[in-house]
Amino acid sequence: MTAGGAILQVRALRKNFPVEGGRHLVAVDGVSLDLAAGETLALVGESGSGKSTVARCIVRLIEPSGGDVAIDGKSILPLQPRLLAGVYRRIQMVFQDPNASLNPRMTVRQVLDEPLRLHLDLARAERTARVRELVEMVGLTALHLDRYPHELSGGQRQRVGIARAMAVSPEIVILDEPTSSLDVSVRGQILDLLLDLQQRLHLAYLFISHDLQVVRHVADRVAVMYLGGIVEMGPTERIFGAPQHPYTRALLSAAPVAQWGVTRTRLRLVGEITSPIDPPNACRLVGRCPLAQPACAAAKPALIAIGHDHAVACPVVVGGAAPYPSGDLQPSVAVAATRGF
Amino acid sequence: MSGELLEIENYSGAFRLPTGELTPVLHDVSYRLKEGALTAVVGETGSGKSLVALSVLGIQPASFVRRSGRILFRGVDLLGLDEKAMRRIRGAEISMVFQDARAALNPVFTVGRQLADVYQLQHGGGRSAAMKQAIEALRRVSIPEPARRARQYPHEFSGGMAQRAMIAMAALICEPSLLILDEPTTGLDVTIQSDIMELITDLCRVGGLTTCLITHDLGIVAETCDEVVVMNAGRVVETGSAQAIFTQPQDPYTRRLLAASQLVEAAA
Amino acid sequence: MSPRDVVGEISPELGIARPVRRRPKLSWSMRIGAGVLIFYVAVALISLVWTPYDPLTPGIGDGYDAPSWAFPLGTDRLGADMLSRLMAGARYNLGITLTAVAIAFCVGTTIGVIAGYYGGAIDTVALRTVEIFQAFPGLLFAMLVVQAVGAGIVNVILVMSFVGIPDYLRLARGEIHSRRSWQYAEAARMVGNPPWRVAFRHLLPNSIGPLLAFTSINAAFVALITASLGFLGLGLGPNTPEWGNMIARGQDGVMTGQWWVSFFPGLAILGLTGAFYLLGDAISDLTDPRRRR
Repeated sequence: MTAGGAILQVRALRKNFPVEGGRHLVAVDGVSLDLAAGETLALVGESGSGKSTVARCIVRLIEPSGGDVAIDGKSILPLQPRLLAGVYRRIQMVFQDPNASLNPRMTVRQVLDEPLRLHLDLARAERTARVRELVEMVGLTALHLDRYPHELSGGQRQRVGIARAMAVSPEIVILDEPTSSLDVSVRGQILDLLLDLQQRLHLAYLFISHDLQVVRHVADRVAVMYLGGIVEMGPTERIFGAPQHPYTRALLSAAPVAQWGVTRTRLRLVGEITSPIDPPNACRLVGRCPLAQPACAAAKPALIAIGHDHAVACPVVVGGAAPYPSGDLQPSVAVAATRGF
Repeated sequence: MSGELLEIENYSGAFRLPTGELTPVLHDVSYRLKEGALTAVVGETGSGKSLVALSVLGIQPASFVRRSGRILFRGVDLLGLDEKAMRRIRGAEISMVFQDARAALNPVFTVGRQLADVYQLQHGGGRSAAMKQAIEALRRVSIPEPARRARQYPHEFSGGMAQRAMIAMAALICEPSLLILDEPTTGLDVTIQSDIMELITDLCRVGGLTTCLITHDLGIVAETCDEVVVMNAGRVVETGSAQAIFTQPQDPYTRRLLAASQLVEAAA
Repeated sequence: MSPRDVVGEISPELGIARPVRRRPKLSWSMRIGAGVLIFYVAVALISLVWTPYDPLTPGIGDGYDAPSWAFPLGTDRLGADMLSRLMAGARYNLGITLTAVAIAFCVGTTIGVIAGYYGGAIDTVALRTVEIFQAFPGLLFAMLVVQAVGAGIVNVILVMSFVGIPDYLRLARGEIHSRRSWQYAEAARMVGNPPWRVAFRHLLPNSIGPLLAFTSINAAFVALITASLGFLGLGLGPNTPEWGNMIARGQDGVMTGQWWVSFFPGLAILGLTGAFYLLGDAISDLTDPRRRR
């Protein structure tokens, strides 16, 4: 991990939500990652993995329960909420649902003008020029400026959302499932736009997605999340070509391919999913993992480096476990007995 | 018969706006569903694929006006039937599964009760017999602890599990000849998606159920479907076997759609 | 995909081609309600500069004159002209109602927005406080407070606004609370808005529909309560040409055949309340966001 060149550093980020009965739902459980300038790190996971919560904690839309977030080495967590405006000039966010992320009562012009007014304090003439620049940058025209969101297509709305994020010329952009709500044919265009902007403006992207295909197309590095923690992290080709963690392998094997004649061997994890409410200090995959050993139920494993910038949170795999067969993977009996199911 | 269970013939229609003017949305839509086959109807938002499906069951929006065309089910034009006749067909002959299962289930009744109610509606009989069938149906769709789950409410089900319950209701309790599924896996996690698709293909192959899968996800179509109908902006642009569509797409729109769905290949 | 979603699917494609923004069609209920209200406002304004006779001076007629050309609505027991008193009364009833509603709307909405967005202690305190106020039926509450703080038009207006504040507060709080975690609220924060601006500039305009629709119901209610207070002789002076007061003064006449002294003020109150209700229906239709598409 290139800690030296990292523009965004997240260390041991935690977020708990209180649940009735004095218990806590652990949404994010000790997530650490580095993002270098100009690179794209994808955060991949299914629902409940905590990836969206991580994104919101990084920008403090949700206040983290613990850990640290630093931009260029300077922590942003101790800042008063009032002073966060300065942070938002360097890190911005593109939201998932273009229908919900634009105020239905504001025209495109107003949407783009607002960050220029509030963050950059530009004069009226400069703002008009910059707004025009922004719409053209995302592939729209001046004709769209006076439209309301409901007069635009889904793809066009998302372009407006991207333009809004770019308005303040940030260095880091967090993209929370930017193409998940879009049609397939529009998806490619938006991704190309994002890649193009990244090139031109030298942006660092934290790309949150559940869509593995999209991730493969855009990301330099991938971090796979499961129940609040990162289970595997590494360069895209290594994660897709030689996944190590049992969860990563199960996840990748479930993704359908839009090609004729491809047979997938499905690796299916069966068993009880660990509850995120007051989870025990153990690997989160215990109960579903075919490789589980008694030690897995004793302590939550940390990420272990296995070379080439690749890390896995599984001591069993690192210790050289034999590759497992396909089909229904029964949870390991060794651990079941220990836990007294 | 010609082996076609459902035939949509030159179906055209428009939406009536509040001002009274008509906006055409379907143009001469024609396709056939082969008996016992799993046919996918693919298209993006606004292609009209869902609208046609709703028309089959007679539950299209009130503002939709049919201009022309027929929908032949075993040779009978469904559009010519009155409401009473349609009610006999719904569930018993043709059944439908919608996208958001938890929203489609009534939140104030237990899942088991809802399944049992449908059973009684379709097959008659007493409450306890119906409940037994409900639990059996839940078991057959691989819901663990079906007796306990039958006593739970829809909000206690996860998305994937609720979809299984819906499929149980539409395919097993109802025992139709034709099952239409409108985006059944959209919004579900990819692992759950895979599981649900396996369930659907099982029901189709093993039960010989004619299935129509409406989706925009070409990935699941490539893996599971026999026939494909491609729709765009209210028109059918291409039909054919799944193999033909994926290996030799004829229409430029189909080719674009395939290219967009295969991002990695396109990039390489 | 429910039938409803299907309609929503197709429509956006139309919107792109020609973004036509049609002016909302005014329904009949809106026209009648607005018309009546405008009429009342006109009468009130005219009465500031002209009435047929002086509304406060008794003895112009003989007392209990029936409606005639000289006195189109008759005179009351003391011989004061009914038409003039009725016109002047519009200033009171309408003025008190509109002012009280405006105050209640502003104060209630503001506190409600703050309580809804920030939550926590502010929210709890606000809700519990309004619950105390809402424990009393409106008229009873108004009576008690007016007796306590004394008569006078300002006091009456303030009391009337208090009657309405709890409902605006709850409505606003509920709407803001449900919207505060929506993505455009999050986006508004990222764009540089401090939390209070997100609540007032972004969330409130999108929640305004139910609040506006409620103003007319609130206005109808306040109009009735104001008249009721006047009828009971509370709040305003005994000779004030307020319609409720006028009804009370004409009570005896109803028994002995001088129907017009109570009838016309009663009709005026009916008209005002009815107009507000009609307007309310129309406003809630207009502000329904689904109609916009």
